Amino acid sequence: MHESSSLLHTAEVVHWIALIVMAVVYTMRLRWLFKFKPGVDRSAPGSPARTNAKRGGFYSLFNVAMPWSMESTRKGFAFYLTFVIFHIGVVAGISLAFLSTIAPGLVAARPFAWVCGVALVAAFGVAVYRVFRRLFRPVMKLISTPDDYFSLFMLTIWFGLGAVTQAHLAGVAGFESVNLLVAYLFLTSFFLIYVPFSKISHYLYYPFTRLWIGRTLGHRGSYPIARG
Amino acid sequence: MSKPAKTHKIKMMEEQLARKLNRQVVGSLVGCVHCGMCNECCHYVLSHPDDPKMTPSYKADQVRKLFKANHDWTGSVFPWWVGADKAPLTDDDLDKLKDIAFGTCTNCRRCTINCPMGVDTATLNRIMRGLLTHVGVMPEGVRVVSKDQWELGNQMGVLKEDYLDTLEWMSEELEEDLGHGEAAIPVDKPGARVMYAINPREVKYDPRTIKEAALIFWAAGEDWTMPSEGWDNTNFGLFSGDDGLGGASAKREYDKARELGVDKIVISECGHGYRSTRCEGVNWSGDAQAFPMESSVITMLNYIKEGKIVVDPTKNPKRVTFHDSCNNARSCGFYEEPRELLRLVTTDFQEMYPNRAENFCCTGGGGAMSMSEYTPRRLKSAQIKANQIRETGAEIVVTSCHNCVDGLSDLIKHYKLGCEVKQLVDLVADALVLEECYVMKSRPVAVAAVASEEPAAAARPVPVAAPAAAAPLAGRKVLVVDDEEDIRTFLVTVFEDAGAEVEQAADGNECLAKARTFKPDLISLDLSMPGKSGVDAFVELRRTEETQEIPVCVVTGHPEFRQVIYDRPVPPPEGYLNKPVDEDKLVSYVAHIIEHREAKAN
Ligand code: SF4
Ligand code: SF4
Repeated sequence: MHESSSLLHTAEVVHWIALIVMAVVYTMRLRWLFKFKPGVDRSAPGSPARTNAKRGGFYSLFNVAMPWSMESTRKGFAFYLTFVIFHIGVVAGISLAFLSTIAPGLVAARPFAWVCGVALVAAFGVAVYRVFRRLFRPVMKLISTPDDYFSLFMLTIWFGLGAVTQAHLAGVAGFESVNLLVAYLFLTSFFLIYVPFSKISHYLYYPFTRLWIGRTLGHRGSYPIARG
Repeated sequence: MSKPAKTHKIKMMEEQLARKLNRQVVGSLVGCVHCGMCNECCHYVLSHPDDPKMTPSYKADQVRKLFKANHDWTGSVFPWWVGADKAPLTDDDLDKLKDIAFGTCTNCRRCTINCPMGVDTATLNRIMRGLLTHVGVMPEGVRVVSKDQWELGNQMGVLKEDYLDTLEWMSEELEEDLGHGEAAIPVDKPGARVMYAINPREVKYDPRTIKEAALIFWAAGEDWTMPSEGWDNTNFGLFSGDDGLGGASAKREYDKARELGVDKIVISECGHGYRSTRCEGVNWSGDAQAFPMESSVITMLNYIKEGKIVVDPTKNPKRVTFHDSCNNARSCGFYEEPRELLRLVTTDFQEMYPNRAENFCCTGGGGAMSMSEYTPRRLKSAQIKANQIRETGAEIVVTSCHNCVDGLSDLIKHYKLGCEVKQLVDLVADALVLEECYVMKSRPVAVAAVASEEPAAAARPVPVAAPAAAAPLAGRKVLVVDDEEDIRTFLVTVFEDAGAEVEQAADGNECLAKARTFKPDLISLDLSMPGKSGVDAFVELRRTEETQEIPVCVVTGHPEFRQVIYDRPVPPPEGYLNKPVDEDKLVSYVAHIIEHREAKAN
């Protein structure tokens, strides 16, 4: 760990503690989910010559990378792209937070700075669009809860702050203040603790929900989707 | 302002929800990120673009709120943060929930396969239906049909003697068509290879499909039987969310199959019947699947592949398209076999887009046909399906589901598409080349003997029905009620040609008056008429002592007749026919209704 200021040091420590807290809470969350009885399908395989639970589960798990696999992502390809950019931004933001504490040299390097910076700026743009979408589309307003709004607002700020922090770490003129990094680390820590209690925890459940629905529909014979 | 206390019903729903939770369900409850991507996949959304409440996640959120308020960490501590503060509290909230769960979703599962998170919204909506049913809140049609299925073992309130009578009637018709009695429908034949389970709609309103199936089984030389009990392959538990009813209904079929010692159950063409019997029934009833179950589509396809029946596709030359039932295609992966069969029995098949598991609902699914209060919304949502059909240019829409037949028939009339709906069994029966089928090739001499020489057959009363066929309604009195003069004239002519004495009425009031004075043997009743509607007239006929025993055959082109079939404020009509009616079908149907009534009275 580098120690350019005591505040930064505190932020880094808090950040790692938050990570441990998140891991503990996530473990508890998964234990909670697995306390519920498993759903059992006693029916005979629907179309064993064509597919099965394993194939359906595999297809379902990876259909996030197959925008052609669902009508919603085929027809809403632009929205799918925003989803991709948004989540690449999340990966970039998390990488920035952790690498800034364990590999400061790497985050300052040009190639990393460019890739991470562009990802964060793009994600910020997408997040702003999503804020407006959620605020002004009647359907989105109807289904949104305070948690939905808050999570999105905070992520938008986090992407923005991440982008300027990356600029700071890369030594871009005008972004010299170390407080940018401090604020970014504190905000990341806040997320690490808040996420298991919010909608953002979806990524914890996601592999399971996808796998389960995929196995169910694969067993029944309708996954992978056939078209003709 | 303080919140009202939870009512007893709400507490019961919460307890019931806890019983229904499993990992998959909880995954769907916690997995939704409210991204809105499923929005445009729902036919209700597409046809109601200005109503955000049609969006699938809003429907699923109803049960999600209940879950979050009771089971979720954040929802238990800060309910308002995750919307759990809007969970239902009072009985007044339940009516709203009923409208959402039953009136804005057919549980078609199209949103499910389009959710990037793998959220099964249709299952969540079914759970909400189940919770409401648990506390007695449901549309009247659902209540009546569920009650019949619990009490009588079938969802249309068909009595055992009526069912057996219909099988006998169809056997007799086959005998007339073939000139021998070999194709008669076997009932409760122990040790048969196949037990054929059907939809009660076939008994009540479309027995032709039973006759066609019997013809195909006979032609293939199948060792088959129909059961006297446990014959209903449909299951209102799927629609009402009542797993108890689902299990009990499925078990009736399984138990009967076991009792008869059959090798397999063949399920007639019904989407929800197939799903309930073949897939969900074993889960609801906890009955490990001991014998194979298959759709009659697969059975017919195999007969052709094995050379047991021979078909000539040129007998079905009109352009056809295929509508996939949601239950078959999305929930049971059953979509290629109907197409394979269709290509063998028709010459001009045009695919509908999207299709297979991505097909749109016929809008009659999820029990929607039994909920007449939502008919206008259902028909509006059918716009999507209507456009799909129109684009194919098909003259016939084929489907493997009785529910879809009704849903499609309604929308075809509503959107004036000018095509007809058929099932595969109709097309296979029409395409049969009987002389080439197994039964004829294996026993040509015996069949010829039955047709011409067998003394017992010749002695039976039914085949010797030539004079009756010329005037099947001779000596009968029929009252024709319809506001459209040309239709009235047509019906009067058909009945008079069949030998009946006919009176006519142009509206509900005239119908009631003439029913008293003319005392008909049957009333042919249109439902959509100015002034007193046919529905009101029908209810009054049934409630008036003098007229309540007169059989009524509804002849209509509008969907409101479902109200009298499903809501049943009074006993349902003895028959119904869709306009435009086929002359022969009308006469034979009406003659059967009258004969059946007399036989019962005697
Ligand atoms: S159900 Fe799926 S697609 Fe629909 S809003 Fe929820 S997460 Fe998005
Ligand atoms: S299950 Fe079908 S009808 Fe119900 S919300 Fe989903 S897409 Fe709409």
